[in-house]
Amino acid sequence: MPESVVVGRDVWKVYGSGDTAVPALRGINVDILRGEILAVMGPSGCGKTTFLNCFSGLDDISRGQVLVEGTDIHAMPDAKKSDYRARRTGFVFQSYNLLPILSAEENVEMPLLIAGRSAQEARSDARAILTEMGLGDRLAHRPSELSGGQQQRVSLARALVAHPAIVWADEPTGNLDAEGSRQVTELLRQLNRNFHQTMVVVTHDAEVAAACDRTLHMRDGLFLA
Amino acid sequence: MAVSSTVALLLLILVVVFAVTGVLALRHRLAFRIAMRNVRRGRVRTALLIGGLLVATTIVSGSLVVGDTVQQLSYHYTYLGAGYDDEAIRALSPSGGFLYFSYSAYTEVTTALSGYGHVTGIAPEIVDSASAYDQHTGIPETALNLIGVNGNQSTALGSFVADNGTQISGPAPGKVLIDDQTASALNATAGDPLVLYGQTKLPLVVQAVVQENVRGAFITGGLSPGNVFVSLSTAQILENQPGKINYIAITNTGSQADGAASSSSVSAYLNSTLAPTLASYGLTVETPLETSLTQATQSSQSTLTIFLVLGLFSIVAGAMLIVGIFVMLAEERKGEMGMLRAIGMRRRELVYTYFFEGVAYAAGSALAGTALGVGIGYFLCYLAGSVLQSEGIPQSVFLQSFTVTPESLVIAYVVGFLLTLVTVVVACRRASRLNIVRAIRDVPEPAPPVRTYTFLAYLGAVMLLVGALVYATTYRGTTDISYPLISGALIILGAGLVAARFLKNRIVFTTVGVALAVWAGWVPLHGFLLGTNHSGGIFVVFVEGIMMVGGTLMVLLFNANEFAALLRAMLGPKGQSSPVVRVALDYPTRQPTRTAVSLTIFALVVFTMVATAGFGATLQGNLNNLVANESGGYSFFGVSQVPLPNLWGQIESNSTLAKEFVNAVPMATGLVDVSVSGYAANPYQDSVYAAPATSPGATDFYTTNQFAFASTLNGTSASATYQELATTPGTAIVDNYYAPQTTSITGGSSGPHPTLSVGATITVAPLLSEKPVRVTVIGILKETAFSGVWLNPSTAASIGFTNLTAYFLTVAPGVSTTHAAQDAKRAFFAAGLVLFDIQSLIAISINTTDGFIGLLEIFVGLGLAVGIAAMGILALRAVVERRRQIGMLRAMGFTQSMVLRTYFLEYTVLTLVGVAVGVVLGVLIVYNLTVSPSATTEGITTFVAPWATILEIAVIAYLLVLVAIAGPSLRAARLPPAEAVRTTE
Repeated sequence: MPESVVVGRDVWKVYGSGDTAVPALRGINVDILRGEILAVMGPSGCGKTTFLNCFSGLDDISRGQVLVEGTDIHAMPDAKKSDYRARRTGFVFQSYNLLPILSAEENVEMPLLIAGRSAQEARSDARAILTEMGLGDRLAHRPSELSGGQQQRVSLARALVAHPAIVWADEPTGNLDAEGSRQVTELLRQLNRNFHQTMVVVTHDAEVAAACDRTLHMRDGLFLA
Repeated sequence: MAVSSTVALLLLILVVVFAVTGVLALRHRLAFRIAMRNVRRGRVRTALLIGGLLVATTIVSGSLVVGDTVQQLSYHYTYLGAGYDDEAIRALSPSGGFLYFSYSAYTEVTTALSGYGHVTGIAPEIVDSASAYDQHTGIPETALNLIGVNGNQSTALGSFVADNGTQISGPAPGKVLIDDQTASALNATAGDPLVLYGQTKLPLVVQAVVQENVRGAFITGGLSPGNVFVSLSTAQILENQPGKINYIAITNTGSQADGAASSSSVSAYLNSTLAPTLASYGLTVETPLETSLTQATQSSQSTLTIFLVLGLFSIVAGAMLIVGIFVMLAEERKGEMGMLRAIGMRRRELVYTYFFEGVAYAAGSALAGTALGVGIGYFLCYLAGSVLQSEGIPQSVFLQSFTVTPESLVIAYVVGFLLTLVTVVVACRRASRLNIVRAIRDVPEPAPPVRTYTFLAYLGAVMLLVGALVYATTYRGTTDISYPLISGALIILGAGLVAARFLKNRIVFTTVGVALAVWAGWVPLHGFLLGTNHSGGIFVVFVEGIMMVGGTLMVLLFNANEFAALLRAMLGPKGQSSPVVRVALDYPTRQPTRTAVSLTIFALVVFTMVATAGFGATLQGNLNNLVANESGGYSFFGVSQVPLPNLWGQIESNSTLAKEFVNAVPMATGLVDVSVSGYAANPYQDSVYAAPATSPGATDFYTTNQFAFASTLNGTSASATYQELATTPGTAIVDNYYAPQTTSITGGSSGPHPTLSVGATITVAPLLSEKPVRVTVIGILKETAFSGVWLNPSTAASIGFTNLTAYFLTVAPGVSTTHAAQDAKRAFFAAGLVLFDIQSLIAISINTTDGFIGLLEIFVGLGLAVGIAAMGILALRAVVERRRQIGMLRAMGFTQSMVLRTYFLEYTVLTLVGVAVGVVLGVLIVYNLTVSPSATTEGITTFVAPWATILEIAVIAYLLVLVAIAGPSLRAARLPPAEAVRTTE
């Protein structure tokens, strides 16, 4: 049985307070296993993205505990949490969130530089992973010069280049057409196979979920049994 | 165009703009409604926008208020000095005073004007100079204005008011009225026995000390020297002119302003009605009040011009800020605009939306800017008041003169409104031409198509042609050098636009930038291509400044990547691997429009501040040269009522004075009409000086003076030129106002003046003489303190200048000029010797100029507010715009402090590059003016860069930017990453 990389216990996230309080997560308990691709599905507003934000450390929780590799990430001060994100996590978003001012390879270099790697190392690793993803001829292109599928591949490369413990993907195919969506899903699967990368994919797309190892369904801030 | 017609035109334009806006609003109601909703979107944002937009109006408004106040101050002294003397019938004597004529002339004038309804008073007077000795205090004072007048004949001139408030119609027989200045100089009070010295001496008693009102401050305006008023008969005795007067003062009906307004028509009437009397007595009708008011207006216009031209830099910076704000606003609303276009709104409607919004912002910001400008104007006047105290003008008088005319408010408002509106519309027009899909999806606009470059190439060709045409007609000649400079810039830019159709932008615009900067900043090129005869004033500084800053920034912006790489290399390995450095440097280099706006604003503002500080420091640093040039090495210039031809002999025989003075040069002096070939307003009235050629050694002007030459005939040495002047009849030298005017660090002469070159022949005639003499100018001096023509002594004598009543004196090394002056004044009191400490007067004048430059520094420093506002607004917008990117960086591990450092580094680089460009070019332009021929002529030979002040400017600018961006940067750092990554604007 693989060990749990992420363990969440009684995790609550409440937006607002008093009469206007809206609970987005209602005491979630979950274990994410090392090396698996976990799909999280559910209708809009069920709390999928809140789950991703809270469990990845992007957002604070209201109650409960999230342990990543045994460490309570919400007990960390901001600087340490940033350092944890830099070294142990990768993110992929629906709208790619590439830095428009940087070229493809510069975008991919960025997590390595943040993690303290040298410029030469960062450049070499970025080129390698982009080439592996079939973007070897697009290294110097800026995001606006790439197609949606290409941008998402750059985004994936950026998430994976530092070999994080876990990659969090929020609707990674949401902005792509069917072909692009298929390519990205295949790529996720392939990278998971090649690097044994733990991935959590929040998605609406049943085909993407079908390609994952396990799918959790969410409704009203809770995982359905 | 008169002020009133300008105001009417501006008001008309304003009404037309508002009317057109109203009609358009009715026809495009949806666009109008959207625009008004946008204005009301957020109060803070609207306030921020208005704050950014009001700068140009504030500068215009502040400048106009300063101009109004200076004009009012000038009017104050003019009204005081001229009093109710609207017309004066008098004749100037060649010695500079007024010629005496028979009292019967007054009788004839009163007879001729009886029944003429526009005149309310005619007063016979004597206006001369006298010395006084207060027997009670034992203090002597020379060079006082002696005014002889009968109270009963001068009621229309107003009443004297004693310091205790009592009204006095005029001086009683045997009594003397003294004004506050005289009372202060003599330490005199009412009842003091006073001996007056004119051509004779008379013991009198001080009747009262009178206030310096329109009567008591006659001629002087309340400034030194002081006045003494005696009865007409007393003055006639004192000046040994029985039955004579030398001045008839005529008062028009109405107030002083009414009198001045009717002065032209009254003087025309007087000239025609009194023609026989004027002709028989050799008199002329002058209009002192009207003339002085005209001069006051001109002087205030000069001040206004200086403020406005220096303010132009801030106005341009302000316009850039408006462009920056609206480009960002358009970016922010791109998606929104795309949606509006998608659901069927026409492109034209989008333009109208911006137009209506622009009108609302322009109207609001112009109003706020005008009001703020008034406040800033008051602040500047307060400072100016303290600067001018050294000139004897009390600060309280300056502040009492604080004036804001409705005309200025209208001009400031309308100019500010139109400037803002035009800039807004131009900035937004491009934004409205968006591609719908790209706008909705927030995809960057592609590079301009070839047809855009083709259009620009045609535009460039037109610019090239216009530039070439203007250049060809102005490059050699005496026009303002701005014309060939601007036309040269048009040629460069035009050629660049044509070349950009065929070559890469980077190559073309780097070349254009270098060419512009060199064209504006390399002075030898101007001399080589344009010659040295062009004129130029402060506007040239603006033209050169804009071209230099523009050219340099063009080079930087079209090589931004290389520049960023250089910066990274300079930061070493850290610069290559630090994500903070990478993000901070990449934003400015890859957003050229925004970077261009920020850099231009900052560079222009710092350039103006550094250039102004540099002028001040260079003037101050060349004080010794300026004093040497202007003083000729002498300590005092003196005049006496009685000629003292053997002044040096008398000094030598006085044991005290002999130790204090090393030379004393007597001279003949007076007024002449100078006619110069090519001068439109011949003859030009000027002073003449002539020193005896055969004075004993120590008193020989030709060997003791150190007045330097700007140019001499055939380049002969100064000593040879002076020897020729001393020995060759028909020769003359002239002061530097006669030199052809070129770009000048101190602005050159203030009014129209004939100019000539050495070797020119001019005609010199004593006033009222019909026997002119033609002389050849063999040298042009560097000095302007003693303006006029220096004639060969025998030539001067041939036209009547023989009385030696003017002097140059030099004190011995280590002797106090104050003590020496007091001793000399005491020794030659009876002759009415007055001494002026030349070096001290020049130093005071330079210090006042320096103070004025300090004031300008503060004024141009206001532009810094534009730079700070620009950085603050850009930073604030950057936070909104980059929310998602900040979120992503935070997701990737950027700490709050890294986000903060990124912002600080980005704005540090922008600010420091702007400051560096401004400093380098500001120093360069001062250096260029320092090495220009005209500056050398004025004694400015040493370039002084005020590095401490420059450092202060740089540090203050940088710190203020840090303060301005601190809020937005902290906001960026504290953005919750989870929210930021998902946010769309």
